[in-house]
Amino acid sequence: MKVLQKRLPLGLALCISTLQLLGCDQQKLPSGIVYCSEGNPESFNPQLVTSGTTVDATSQQIYDGLVNYNAASGVVEPALATRWNISDDGLTYTFDLRTNVNFHHSDNFTPSRQFNADDVLFSFNRIIDEGHPYHFVSKTGYPFFQSIGFSQLIDDIEKVSDHQVAFHLSRPDASFLANLATGFAVILSAEYAQQLSQQDQQDELDRLAIGTGPFKLVQYVKNDFIRYHRNEHYWQAQPDAERLVFDITPKSTSRLAKLITSDCNVSALPKAGEIPVILDKEALEVDSLPGFNVAFWAFNTERIPFNDVRVRRALAHAVDRENILRAVYQKTAVAATGMLPPPSWAYNANDSMIDYNPQKAKDLLAQAGITELSIDIWAMPVARIYNPNAHKTAELIQADLANINVKANIVSYDWSVFNQKLSSRSYDSVLIGWNADNSDPDNFFTPILSCKSVEYNSNRSRWCDSQFDALLQQAKSITDKPQRTALYQQAELYLAEQVPVLPFAHATRLVFKQKKVNNSKLTPFGGISFNHSSQKPANMSTQP
Amino acid sequence: MTRYLLRRLNLFLATSLVLILVLFVATSRFPVEHKFALTGIHSPTPEQVAQITADYRLDEGNLSQFTAYLQQRLSGNLGVSATSNQPVFDELVQVLPASFELAGVAAILALLCGIPLGVLASLSKNKITQHSIMAITLTGYSIPVFWLGLTLSLWFGVELGWLPISGQINLLYEIEPVTGFLLIDTLLSDSQYRMSAFTDAVLHIILPAITLAVLPFTVVVRITRTAMLSIMEETYIKAAAARGLQTSKIVIRHALPNALIPVLKNMGLMLGAFSSYAMVVEVIFAWPGVGAWLVSGIYQRDYTVIQGGILSVALIIIFLSILIEVMHTAINPISRKEMYATS
Repeated sequence: MKVLQKRLPLGLALCISTLQLLGCDQQKLPSGIVYCSEGNPESFNPQLVTSGTTVDATSQQIYDGLVNYNAASGVVEPALATRWNISDDGLTYTFDLRTNVNFHHSDNFTPSRQFNADDVLFSFNRIIDEGHPYHFVSKTGYPFFQSIGFSQLIDDIEKVSDHQVAFHLSRPDASFLANLATGFAVILSAEYAQQLSQQDQQDELDRLAIGTGPFKLVQYVKNDFIRYHRNEHYWQAQPDAERLVFDITPKSTSRLAKLITSDCNVSALPKAGEIPVILDKEALEVDSLPGFNVAFWAFNTERIPFNDVRVRRALAHAVDRENILRAVYQKTAVAATGMLPPPSWAYNANDSMIDYNPQKAKDLLAQAGITELSIDIWAMPVARIYNPNAHKTAELIQADLANINVKANIVSYDWSVFNQKLSSRSYDSVLIGWNADNSDPDNFFTPILSCKSVEYNSNRSRWCDSQFDALLQQAKSITDKPQRTALYQQAELYLAEQVPVLPFAHATRLVFKQKKVNNSKLTPFGGISFNHSSQKPANMSTQP
Repeated sequence: MTRYLLRRLNLFLATSLVLILVLFVATSRFPVEHKFALTGIHSPTPEQVAQITADYRLDEGNLSQFTAYLQQRLSGNLGVSATSNQPVFDELVQVLPASFELAGVAAILALLCGIPLGVLASLSKNKITQHSIMAITLTGYSIPVFWLGLTLSLWFGVELGWLPISGQINLLYEIEPVTGFLLIDTLLSDSQYRMSAFTDAVLHIILPAITLAVLPFTVVVRITRTAMLSIMEETYIKAAAARGLQTSKIVIRHALPNALIPVLKNMGLMLGAFSSYAMVVEVIFAWPGVGAWLVSGIYQRDYTVIQGGILSVALIIIFLSILIEVMHTAINPISRKEMYATS
């Protein structure tokens, strides 16, 4: 018995010391970046979606567009097109295409030729031409392009030569180049599509993506991770990181924990309340960028009583938006006076046209003849750039509405279900928002508030007003900035009168990252680029 | 013996049949289109509708529908996941090994630490040792697992930064799945990072395995102790001691094998609780196993995943508890005698 009792502690000690040895072992990691992202992408082709999560995971990593935004200067710069010419009438855009651009090599596709005009034609004809064999491969349509009326805008895309294409427009459109620079207008491989048609596997085009971007898609496991490898044939300088992994972590606190334990290097969409934790840790830092976005509360104007403008105004007056900024954003956002955020060139720093006034709200409700009102507020279940915590926002609004005797129920589903249910139009009101895809002010109106966008379900207020549409159309058809600014201000005024949506904040874009990761680049229009990122050598110890 | 085995097999089949019947009834009660709940196909084409109707014999009576359902499910057709459009069976095959790995490591941990401690508790004449061991196990037994998991990850992960607290491995390591068990796969892989990947996987499994091991560990300690106490009083032990055998030899050769029989029996009884604990642990530590998969399926209203998850988890539990019972009978001389007496 004695012997046994003596041996036990010895065994335990051995056990523990082995573990310690394992723990102290110098960790050797392959070179690469792990990014903790907030959700599953819906597709690997950003043409088919509007969600920021998908754009993050695809546009900047897998693909390139014809033109690009320079985030710093806000001007359109060359990408796959080296030069472009706009005809005097503003109707023809001719692009010279870059030569020596290779598509990704993957297990099931080896490109036999380089990028040329056919790929451009394929990528855009797929969207605009209903007779195109790939048009209906997309089950979700092309929401971004449909909401801006892209197929009506383009008359024809002409292949001038192998390395030159011309877009013929049906009317001048000042936002055309800006729209081409969005993360949605990516270039796919026509050769790959052809191969898939022969194999009768058209669906794979949007799943096993092939592009020209800095990283190629290797593996995607839903709810778990997306794995990319460096594109060895990239047309620009090769990315520094050999591997890129998106670690899909829906919970914000888990993302923070993973960042602290070094399981990921960069973490998406933090909550404002988590910033002090990061400032506490020596190895971590916060990256921020003024946001090109707006968070709003949209009323379903197709439903009673929200079709009555007095009810919408009443609800708008009842909400204390300062309070939301304080509690939800905690100084990481600016108050919204309209749809346009301060960094936009058409922004005008005027006071909000809707003030917080519960008494006025009550009067308006009385005028509308409404005594008892109970509404649903749908709150997104996930953090978005524009609203880190929609549920909390909904609770604050609920409390405000109680002051004017309106009862509010908060409704929430898991993100994919939420999205599906939104399309079925059965909601009263929803807390959602919009992150701009480009710097053109039109991007804050046409894709989300025009009549066209009602058809394609990107107009959450389902509000269609011909007067407003005419105003937007007019602003788009001219190129003079001061004139356009005046028109967009007019549009803002009109919105403040009609309140189909109540904007409340423009959030700052934040990511948390380890200091040893350099050059991960936030882009103001959504998306994050790891093109030039790397981890500094390992002697920057990972010791906390 | 054959008759006994047949009876156990019969029990397994009957229980499974009842389980599938419950699932079948529940499926028709899901608040969605029946065809969607069965197959997970969102907007089926007319051909698919015809196919589904034929497969599940939807135009026939309930009994016929049930047989069709049974046929489909048992042939491995669990439908496709509504959110990923992948066959549920494939997803299940991907997530099961991770769960087995975690459960296996936790069980080994519980047995390796629990049995010696139980023996120690029973042999010790020192009141303080006895009481402290009992106090520890009682505490461990009553701590809620979600609290324990969060506390451990807060301390060892966030505050001290010693151990990773989520996932199976740092995702920068690319491990080819061979067996599906990551600890083995890292060793089998031929990458230059083999050893550090293995180390990383070991570090990742420590906290979830410890959290999951606490409950079975406490049970093992207590059962071992009780069994040892009564066995050490047996006359054959006394006879062995009188012959002058070393205590360690008596314990290991004569007492322990008999003491382990009730431990085995209790492990079978504990399976249900253990697996629901495992789900909680998987969610807390973002362990990519069947529990986390099932829970996310529930959140996403992915009805085919819910059915597939429940079916597989329940079948595994039924199978394992019957297996443990059979093993118990085979090892235990007393129940073997009873078995022959009754048959």
